[in-house]
Amino acid sequence: MPVYVDISRCIGCRSCEVACKRVHGGKGHVNVHMAGDHASVPIFCHHCEEATCTMACYTGALYKDAERTAFDVEKCTGCGLCQLACPFGVVWSDKIAHKCDLCAGRENPACLVSCPANALSTDFELASRRARARAAMAVARGR
Amino acid sequence: MIKVDVSKCLGCFSCTNVCPNQNITREETPETRSIHWKRCKEECDLCVEFCPAKALTLVPFDQAGEEPTITFDLVACKICKARYATEPMLKRIESSLPEKLQKDSTGLDWIWICPVCRRNIEAERATKQMVLGRTRKSP
Amino acid sequence: MPQVLVPTVCPYCGAGCQFFISVEKERATGIEYMPEHPASEGSLCSKGNAALEILYHPDRLHHPLKRKGDGWARISWNDALELTARGLGGALKRFGPECVGFLSSSKCTNEENYLIEKMARCLGSRNIDNCARLCHSPSVVGLNRTLGAAGMTNPISDIANSKCIFIIGSNLAENHAVLSRWIHRARDSGAVVIVADPRMTHTAWMADIFLQLKPGTDVALLCGMAHVIVKEGLVDSEYIGKWTRGYERLVESVLDYTPEKVSEITGIPAGDIVRAARAYAISPASSILYSMGITQHSTGTDNVQAIANLALICGQLGRQGTGVMPLRGQNNVQGACDMGALAEFYPGYRRADDPETAKFFSCAWGVDLPVGRGLTATEMVDAAARGKIRAMYIVGEDPANSDPSSSYTRDALEGLDFLVVQDIFMTATAQMADLVLPASAWAEKEGSYTSTERRVQWSCKAIEPPGEARSDLEIVCALANSLGLEFNYPDAASVLSEINQLVPQYGGIVRERLNGAGLVWPCPNPDHPGTPILHTQGFKLQDGRAAIVPVQYRPAAEEASWEYPFILTTGRVAVHHNAGSMTRRSPSLIEREPELFVEINTQDAVKLRIADGDEVRVTSPRGGTTARARLTGRVKRGVVFMPFHFPGTNMLTTEATDPEAKIPEFKVSACKISRRD
Repeated sequence: MPVYVDISRCIGCRSCEVACKRVHGGKGHVNVHMAGDHASVPIFCHHCEEATCTMACYTGALYKDAERTAFDVEKCTGCGLCQLACPFGVVWSDKIAHKCDLCAGRENPACLVSCPANALSTDFELASRRARARAAMAVARGR
Repeated sequence: MIKVDVSKCLGCFSCTNVCPNQNITREETPETRSIHWKRCKEECDLCVEFCPAKALTLVPFDQAGEEPTITFDLVACKICKARYATEPMLKRIESSLPEKLQKDSTGLDWIWICPVCRRNIEAERATKQMVLGRTRKSP
Repeated sequence: MPQVLVPTVCPYCGAGCQFFISVEKERATGIEYMPEHPASEGSLCSKGNAALEILYHPDRLHHPLKRKGDGWARISWNDALELTARGLGGALKRFGPECVGFLSSSKCTNEENYLIEKMARCLGSRNIDNCARLCHSPSVVGLNRTLGAAGMTNPISDIANSKCIFIIGSNLAENHAVLSRWIHRARDSGAVVIVADPRMTHTAWMADIFLQLKPGTDVALLCGMAHVIVKEGLVDSEYIGKWTRGYERLVESVLDYTPEKVSEITGIPAGDIVRAARAYAISPASSILYSMGITQHSTGTDNVQAIANLALICGQLGRQGTGVMPLRGQNNVQGACDMGALAEFYPGYRRADDPETAKFFSCAWGVDLPVGRGLTATEMVDAAARGKIRAMYIVGEDPANSDPSSSYTRDALEGLDFLVVQDIFMTATAQMADLVLPASAWAEKEGSYTSTERRVQWSCKAIEPPGEARSDLEIVCALANSLGLEFNYPDAASVLSEINQLVPQYGGIVRERLNGAGLVWPCPNPDHPGTPILHTQGFKLQDGRAAIVPVQYRPAAEEASWEYPFILTTGRVAVHHNAGSMTRRSPSLIEREPELFVEINTQDAVKLRIADGDEVRVTSPRGGTTARARLTGRVKRGVVFMPFHFPGTNMLTTEATDPEAKIPEFKVSACKISRRD
């Protein structure tokens, strides 16, 4: 259950980047990409159901638990295979790996609380509803 | 002392990271990565245990023994040509994943593309519809 | 060791978000969000998230410094205060109080601003001002005249109740980011968003109608919209009749601003102007959000008045979801103005040229105060250049980087006989000082700050200042006393008590009531709950009516020419703040926007053989600077954009000012661009 982005709400302020970096001791896991002249979207870990990073990890440091693709830093050797095994480029390895852990230990992910535009949510129903409403609007308006 | 099976070494960073005495070093240039194993008397076997390819073995210390170095050419990203990984590591990824996961939903061979480009492609995919829809002028 | 959470008000923009600083063993170790905050709901922009990075920065000033040759000598506080007193006191005596200038800080607390302006005036000088002069002085002048009060008329959260949000001259997505959530909420319930900006910004991303106008043509657009609204009978006649004066003259004044004519002037398709006007007038609750794109013009006051006119003729004031909303840049620029750190206003906006004002404060402060307004910040620089101002005391302000025409400004400041700068970093202005006094950052002192929605909040002290740095309050009191005044204020709360007596809008904003979300002024007495929405019962002007002030379009002071073919407009980016002395020293922020860039329309760039990423030279009649080229479709041909967070942009900007508010026309300068090689 990853953090979902409502792209129509993203304002490219990069607060999620800075917040993630801050709560993770300087190693952040979010990158905001600019699209076109004035749109933007942060790319988060998808916490894939079939997580390729966990398949490449040979020590069991990366594994699936109920809600997320979790990371046990004690088991990591920093080999770098996970970084190459993520199709979205959101696992990093530099002496040790790091990736989004949905801010285990916090009530809510820091990026979600910090987003000034309220664009982030872990509520799939909400994200899905918003996306479909937008799609319906686009179809109706012939875009 | 460490003995390396050159045909198995992936060129990853495990052994250089886990060695408690900095006997294994690595060096990177824009195009290559080299790993160098120094002569060691250590009795630990962390490097052997944690090598993902089981490429290392321990042999008795020999003052005249070779200190192997392996140099890999880094593979170039298919899109931006940046050199980002060794070929054995990428092949290892391929073999760890079921075939259906080695291509993304558009049929792209993402393993042979660098992580930066992967993020860019994902961003484009996520925003394309929306950006296109907005830039079409309304009547 | 237990962790303590100390609530503080963010030191960056005027949105007034709060967050907790977690303090362990007397060090600020982290930030916790505050979900109960009425404006931010716990969110923070990238700057707020990085706020702690400046506290322990190696560049922080730790000790008073005296100029010694090309360098600095560390001196004691006693010596520093004595030298300052001698330098300022000497100048006051030798040249007279008219020859000394005081610049207060819109980052300092209300209490500190109050004391600085009180000190200046008690010493006989009328030359007290703050950086509002460079940003919202037209709002202070224009809105006081038209609506009787200058500040956001409705709360930030009320934006969610609006059905038509007209954002003009503001890139709030980047600079007042938390407002975005309320706009999105409004859109969820069907609101229309109109954005007018020469540049396609992240704010424009939210727009249903985007009006990409030529820089400096806002009055034309606003008059054009008024023209459509009047012509199509979309005005709110009942509201006009009951609450305004001057409507007939407005009708006359906008007769010529047909959509076609306005389209010619602004470059906006006529149809879009009509649609925007109709949407704004027809919607049951419309609000106008504006910022520097409206104020930083030689027609800034006219721009603001045109906005007020639009709101007044459509009756879009005094109710939920309506309003005229100046978005103020600094965390306490609203407070600095409320406290009268302005050349033409005393605390509470009493006019300096009114004898009644002088009488009132002379009585309150026990000194004889002169009648009349003093020199504004921009005029002080001019006066310094001409040798009329000989000494200045500058607190938390960096005119060498924030004033236009940097070469001119720097020469003027260099020429002063005596310059004292009080700041947290050695800014470009401090570099030119004779004495530098180290001050506290926001987390190292306590006091009240007033946000752009007129919300007064108390920020608590989390940690001690570094080295020998002291709070501005302590420094000002000590300085005032060594200059012969009697400033006995043991703490900020005691200053607030005095403010309660003298500023009617703050009458009930007493310390005990300021925990948590604070209070919104006017709050005249301790039982008053505060006033989130202004003008619900008319206006604080003669006979309770707002003044509709007709305005005419005047082109900007500088035009593109054959030699300088581009119009340069300036602005901000999300990760930086104003002159950048804090954000350029924050690693998380500077790594995201490391250098000065210039946005050039791709087609224009191709013609000049400039590629994306090239170093280019940008030159104007005032000077030149180097910047990194960014090719984009965001600006139209003939327009370029540079952020003013880096020294260099203001080397280029014009010194032309608004005749009334004296704000420089940062948004329109002519320039030329060439490849560096």
